[in-house]
Amino acid sequence: MQRASRLTKELSLLATEPPPGITCWQNGRLDDLRAQILGGVDTPYEKGIFNLEIIVPERYPFEPPKIRFLTPIYHPNIDSAGRICLDVLKLPPKGAWRPSLNISTLLTSIQLLMAEPNPDDPLMANISTEYKYNKQLFLLNAREWTEKYAGQMRVSKPLEEKIIQNKTSTCSESTVQKRKGVDISRKEKKSRPDS
Amino acid sequence: MLYFTALMKGLFSPFLGTFLLIKMESSDSSDKGSIDQSEAQRQSQLDRLDREEAFYQFVNNLSEEDYRLMRDNNLLGTPGEITEEELLRRLHQVKEGPPQQNSDENRGAESAEDVSNGDSIIDWLNSVRQTGNTTRSGQRGNQSWRAVSRTNPNSGDFRFSLEINVNRNNGNTNPETENEPSVEPSNGEDLENSQSDSEIPRSESPSVRQPGSERSSAEELTAEEASPPRGQRRARSRSPEQRRTRARTDRSRSPINAVSEAPRRSHHNTSSQTLDHSSASEAEGSSRTRQHVTLRQHTVGTEVPSENAVLFSPPETRPAPQAAGSSETSGTSESTAPGQRPPTIVLDLQVRRVRPGEYRQRDSIANRTRSRSQTPNNTVTYESERGGFRRTFSRSERAGVRTYVSTIRIPIRRILNTGLSETTSVAIQTMLRQIMTGFGELSYFMYSDSDADPSGPAPSQNVETSEPQSGGGGASGNENADVSSGEVYEGGHEAGSTSGARREGRNMRGSVTFEESGSLPFLSLAQFFLLNEDDDDQPRGLTKEQIDNLAMRNFGESDALKTCSVCITEYTEGNKLRKLPCSHEYHVHCIDRWLSENSTCPICRRAVLASGNRESVV
Repeated sequence: MQRASRLTKELSLLATEPPPGITCWQNGRLDDLRAQILGGVDTPYEKGIFNLEIIVPERYPFEPPKIRFLTPIYHPNIDSAGRICLDVLKLPPKGAWRPSLNISTLLTSIQLLMAEPNPDDPLMANISTEYKYNKQLFLLNAREWTEKYAGQMRVSKPLEEKIIQNKTSTCSESTVQKRKGVDISRKEKKSRPDS
Repeated sequence: MLYFTALMKGLFSPFLGTFLLIKMESSDSSDKGSIDQSEAQRQSQLDRLDREEAFYQFVNNLSEEDYRLMRDNNLLGTPGEITEEELLRRLHQVKEGPPQQNSDENRGAESAEDVSNGDSIIDWLNSVRQTGNTTRSGQRGNQSWRAVSRTNPNSGDFRFSLEINVNRNNGNTNPETENEPSVEPSNGEDLENSQSDSEIPRSESPSVRQPGSERSSAEELTAEEASPPRGQRRARSRSPEQRRTRARTDRSRSPINAVSEAPRRSHHNTSSQTLDHSSASEAEGSSRTRQHVTLRQHTVGTEVPSENAVLFSPPETRPAPQAAGSSETSGTSESTAPGQRPPTIVLDLQVRRVRPGEYRQRDSIANRTRSRSQTPNNTVTYESERGGFRRTFSRSERAGVRTYVSTIRIPIRRILNTGLSETTSVAIQTMLRQIMTGFGELSYFMYSDSDADPSGPAPSQNVETSEPQSGGGGASGNENADVSSGEVYEGGHEAGSTSGARREGRNMRGSVTFEESGSLPFLSLAQFFLLNEDDDDQPRGLTKEQIDNLAMRNFGESDALKTCSVCITEYTEGNKLRKLPCSHEYHVHCIDRWLSENSTCPICRRAVLASGNRESVV
């Protein structure tokens, strides 16, 4: 629909006045965007850089863009494939998408979701339970993941490569990692009094 | 270039330090690799923007009537894709009126015509969504078929009409021999033969096939043409409908012979009974479509006593069906040979994206099938329900004409969430395949039906008989009348009438002793074939009428709010804006599209219509 002109405008707006902690750019095609969200201060994602993929459907803005995380993230509402459970990403009546929203607002919403997970509408049941009943453990795991997948240390590697790497690893590795994460954290917990 | 700078700017945002350089590197290298490609892309995007610009200009310059006309006919296309010239052409076309378009489209279709084997119908149907408007015909054995399909790429609407002729006399190319109404038992057999005899390709007599198929495509077009002023028609259909339907029944009755007359009268009691039920359903506040049916039933009930008078009324009491135009004439010419026609199945299917909220369902597929054969008067209704699929089937027979009404309601919420996309087309294909399978099983069906007849207490089911044909000549006239009314083609109407039928089915259930035998035949020989969205939590859009009722004005420079939040474009002088009750404003074309699928304001999310209001308005 109005996709082309609207997207152009949105992109230039995103370029000139990006919301704090958010960058968004075209990935070759107009309807394929990439974004980066900086992990918020005082969240377990602090210092992490999270890459997102934004696919803009043909019917945009009458349909919401499809946004997913490319960087693995330990979060109750984001699954191992990077899919995000967020109302504004869905069409009404279940969702809250409306054409007056835009990519910038969506990314901001995601940023907010990262800072404040919604464990009552979980996508990842176990992480959600952890978040609810063992917040410390959750924070630990989330921090660990952030460091491992979204850490600044990785910045030295070319981005594209990193994305590809992430893509391949998200599905398989993340589930394994999850369990590992739990184990490790338990050990750490035990050993904590020592340190 | 625009995008490129945007990209660069984005990259230099302060907090990404080292990261950015890397990003730049990688993007640079990729750019070098595909420099031509991105150049071409940029060019095409620029072209697109130009076209979009032109589109908005065009829309803004349209008068309100023209805008409505084009929107309602789905001619506006997609900004950025459709060129201004094309828009202009479409506007002229639609203004010049249906006949012009008819012939145009027909000619176009004709050229695409292609004769192939009957077995390929299904293959063809599979590709039909891609190919757009096509006409095909072919034959298998002594069945010949001709199918016309039209796809509207903008709305995803899909129309398909198919006519199948079955020549009962195997290998006999002379239609004259089919003159005398053949005896009933042989009929089923013949069909059986025709089925099994598919090896022998047999040329269908063109005199029979051609007008019919042309008519079906014309019908289609007329129906579509007739759809824009739907609101008026709908409003009208409350009271005048009664008169109209009565006329229709009169008309259909006039050519009837006494044979068909007698049973009808005997059905009187039951039909008035059904009237009660249907008026009950009306009271439920369900769609007006049901009313449509109701009235028709009503007519049956009330008209019967005076039937004699009607019976002998001269043929000219047949009112010329409105808007039928040329299609009518071909229809009547057909009808001059009542018993001569080989069994013909006319199937008209329309897949239409029903505006949510406009009707009770999101999507509907309806088709109409008529098959003719010589069998006793009879109407049977079946209903089955299983696993979310509700099926109704009713059959009526009258003076050699059988009418099948079949309804299937399938919740397809998931499909619809993604819009009318590929999944839907797959669903449609499946439907069509089922229908087609049904045609394959025609013979079986008819055969087994006549077997089953004795056990069915047919007389009670007069319901559908009012619409259905009264035999030979009246039949095709009737068909046309139905078609020309244009109402039957609308999703809601179909839905309504079928839900009416479904009710019927329920009512009849007690009296019909049929077991649910294989439901495929029911499904297959469908007259109405519906895909209904059952779920109430679907987003409900507004009807065109409701949208049109919202305030509209032209933008003036002095206005405070200057940007449409749907397209984030600033308004310019002369832009048409629509103001929602919450006083938020948008470009008409922007908000109309959103409201056709949703019912809340994009800014404040308030319901555009007061709750409860919708039902009564619809």
